[in-house]
Amino acid sequence: MIKTDVIIIGGGATGCGIARDLALRGISHCLVEKGDFAAGATGACHGLLHSGGRYAVTDPVAARECYEENLILRRIGKKCVEQTGGLFVRLPGDSKRFREVFLRGCEAVGIPAEVLSASKALELVPNLNPQIEEAIKVPDCSIDPFRLCMLNIRTSELRGGIIFTRHKVTEIIKSHGRCTGIKAIDQSTGETREIHGNIIINATGAWANMVAALAGSEVPMTLVKGSLVITNHRLTNMVINRLRQPSDGDIIVPNEAVCLAGTTSLAIEDPDNLIMESPEVDTIISEAGRMIPHFNATRIIRAFSGVRPLLKSKKADSHEISRGFQIINHENGLYSIVGGKLSTFRLMAEKMVDTIMALLNLKKPCETAEIPLDGQEELSGYPLAKRLTNMKNIVCECELVTRSDVERIIRQTSTRKVGDIQHRTRLGMGPCQGGFCTFRALGIMNDMSVISPEQSMEMLRGFLQRRYKGIRHALWGDQLREEQLVEYIYLGILAMEQSE
Amino acid sequence: MSFIEYDVVIIGAGVAGLTAGAKLAEHGFHVALVTKGEPTACLSTGCVDVCSLSDHPLDGIDSLPPEHPFHLVDKSVIKESLHHFQAVMIDMGIPYAGSAEKNRLVMSALGTFKKSCLIPSTMEAAPQHTQESVHIITFKGLKDFYPGYIISRRRNTKFSVYDAGVSTTMSIASRFEEKDFFENFLLWLEKLNIAEDRIAFPAVLGLESAAEIFRTLSMRVGKPVFEIPTIPPSMPGRRLFSALKKNFRQKGGTIYWSWPVVGTEKTGHLIEAVTTFSEGRPKSINARAFILATGSFVGGGLTATRETILENIFNLPVHKSGPRETWFNNDYFSQNHGIGKAGIMADVSMRPAGCAWKNVFVCGSILANTEILKNGCGHGLALATANAAAQSCAEYLSHEL
Repeated sequence: MIKTDVIIIGGGATGCGIARDLALRGISHCLVEKGDFAAGATGACHGLLHSGGRYAVTDPVAARECYEENLILRRIGKKCVEQTGGLFVRLPGDSKRFREVFLRGCEAVGIPAEVLSASKALELVPNLNPQIEEAIKVPDCSIDPFRLCMLNIRTSELRGGIIFTRHKVTEIIKSHGRCTGIKAIDQSTGETREIHGNIIINATGAWANMVAALAGSEVPMTLVKGSLVITNHRLTNMVINRLRQPSDGDIIVPNEAVCLAGTTSLAIEDPDNLIMESPEVDTIISEAGRMIPHFNATRIIRAFSGVRPLLKSKKADSHEISRGFQIINHENGLYSIVGGKLSTFRLMAEKMVDTIMALLNLKKPCETAEIPLDGQEELSGYPLAKRLTNMKNIVCECELVTRSDVERIIRQTSTRKVGDIQHRTRLGMGPCQGGFCTFRALGIMNDMSVISPEQSMEMLRGFLQRRYKGIRHALWGDQLREEQLVEYIYLGILAMEQSE
Repeated sequence: MSFIEYDVVIIGAGVAGLTAGAKLAEHGFHVALVTKGEPTACLSTGCVDVCSLSDHPLDGIDSLPPEHPFHLVDKSVIKESLHHFQAVMIDMGIPYAGSAEKNRLVMSALGTFKKSCLIPSTMEAAPQHTQESVHIITFKGLKDFYPGYIISRRRNTKFSVYDAGVSTTMSIASRFEEKDFFENFLLWLEKLNIAEDRIAFPAVLGLESAAEIFRTLSMRVGKPVFEIPTIPPSMPGRRLFSALKKNFRQKGGTIYWSWPVVGTEKTGHLIEAVTTFSEGRPKSINARAFILATGSFVGGGLTATRETILENIFNLPVHKSGPRETWFNNDYFSQNHGIGKAGIMADVSMRPAGCAWKNVFVCGSILANTEILKNGCGHGLALATANAAAQSCAEYLSHEL
């Protein structure tokens, strides 16, 4: 049994941010996550660090929060934020009135917004639709949500925080009506762990209501599915937004060697059962293609959906629901933190920990905005220049990950999940989507005795099913060719059975 | 533009194209083969699957759905194609074991068994049932082969690791071609005193001299030895391709390598020439007949767009399961995706359905309704339909004279 002050449930950006803040304020804590870090909405978003421009018209409070956080993250997270800058482009037919409201909104909030002529915008992003009327330049950035979570967790680890990933909370322990701890099941061994704490934070995003229910509480939320596609190329070096009311497929974000485009917005009920449809993919591609025409001819390597956990609202169009966040005191020792967005995760964590400090009657102020994120040097194995220094025995040809990279991560984390290697090295994130390298990574994990031969086989099978789910809606052109080859390898050459 | 004139131009250098080409050249026709590059045969295990639905490949063919292209070919032609293939492979120095009467089992790199009809003799000694113990020899850092996967299904498997100084299947295979390396390796292997019944290797035992390396190795260890096909690049696949290519050239065929077809010239009911793009300027290759053997999606014969599926050379009508939603179903392992049916329909003369030109023939995996993975009918179908297409093309050419 473990005893701690604060138990955090959820390893998304919010949960990881809270862990870092608690660590810096010297509060003991334990974070429990049912999958890997950034497994929910955090990892299924654009990876856009908003300038606030997007919300300048509809939600000035959110816009201001975004801009302030944007400035902070650029300062403290130099290695996981790419300062791309962003453009809001106005296409022929897009409302000119919206442009005026947008500029006024940015001015009111204090977001620097510079109007550029079409030709000036095309100089910055040559792939833009040459027919654009004009563009407005804002300080949008690209951010890697996986690294962001891991860097936040690093601070917690360095200061004695206890972290359990792959642990699903099955019970919230109550005594005299107050929540005093949790029981969590280790997903890989099946063992149950009991953790006691004074305060329990529910930072589980789309799953918040389910977790709250374990304590007999409720979190009223609207779940909105958003779908995204990933291209094989980096088509733009700047974030591209459409200058109009938020709508489907109006953001393109460069990230490392690829671009993410989306989203759609559809209300759903069950966050564990996301079904993607081909028309969503087509919508995103054709809308993104209006801003960058080449998008229509670009290879799509993956299409996936995430769930935005938004505060309950009666507004019919889910694009209009507030992106603000809320801390709910369930009056039984459980607190839920819901809503918000990736860009404001640090602020959410700060407010949450301020509440905790008040409860514990402690005074130490928040320092997360001043101190740079720990571990940025170690985790910055991404830049291509760095990868090209060691080309020996490459295991993932798409993303240039070597066998020694894979072995290092396995030794460092003693992980038994190939996803952990993926999020730390980009293994399997390229055009073949792990078709070749996952077979290798699991083989290496078995060679190093972190998993048994039977586990390597079982994980390979599980991986192929998950992989297929991510690519099945993007299968045409070269991606279909690639998929036919991978299918031929596993079901033909390797003769994997239809079922165990 | 320059002009070259042939009796037949084959498009595609896979098993189907090279087989059809060799057969026509053997008949005395002047044959050219144009190809964009290496065929998917190089990625294959080298095994000739005929039909793995039954232990007896020919019975398996009977159980295939009526629209399957195997039914376009006479049983005697299928049998003859396989016999002929085995004879050619003996001449080319890479003998194939097995016969049209019965499927054999090949061990995969996951320890599963795959049914196949004609198999490279280097894979012949694979255990045919699970009891026999196997000792695997693998290589340090080899990135495309992991004995753990085999051990997960066959716990009585042991393995030893040799340091070849290189880590890809291709580079290890080429090291085996070096006399000193091979001799040192044999000395190491002999010292292991392996107790298990059989010795397995990932398929890296040489390229050009594979047969000789394999013979020496088997003799020196005095135990049954066999190769396990690996994921691409596959040495047995490359050996098969080299042998078919050599045979085609020996029979008098000409290969235009890296000459992708970019256009066609036609008059009335005939294709007159294909235009290829090479060394900076287009060339027309004229012929009296054309055989389309460009393969399916991976091979480059077909292209899927978001809306439809296209045939890339003649823009022939493509048969498909329906709109994009029907191409793939939800279960990855079902082997029943609609996309497996996509391809060119043909009649018994191996002429494409809906084709406006009477001098075009088609064979191999570009054909519709093959469902190659589900039916286990890869290279076997290529051989049979290639022979049928070549025969039909030869008849057409003789008649036309």
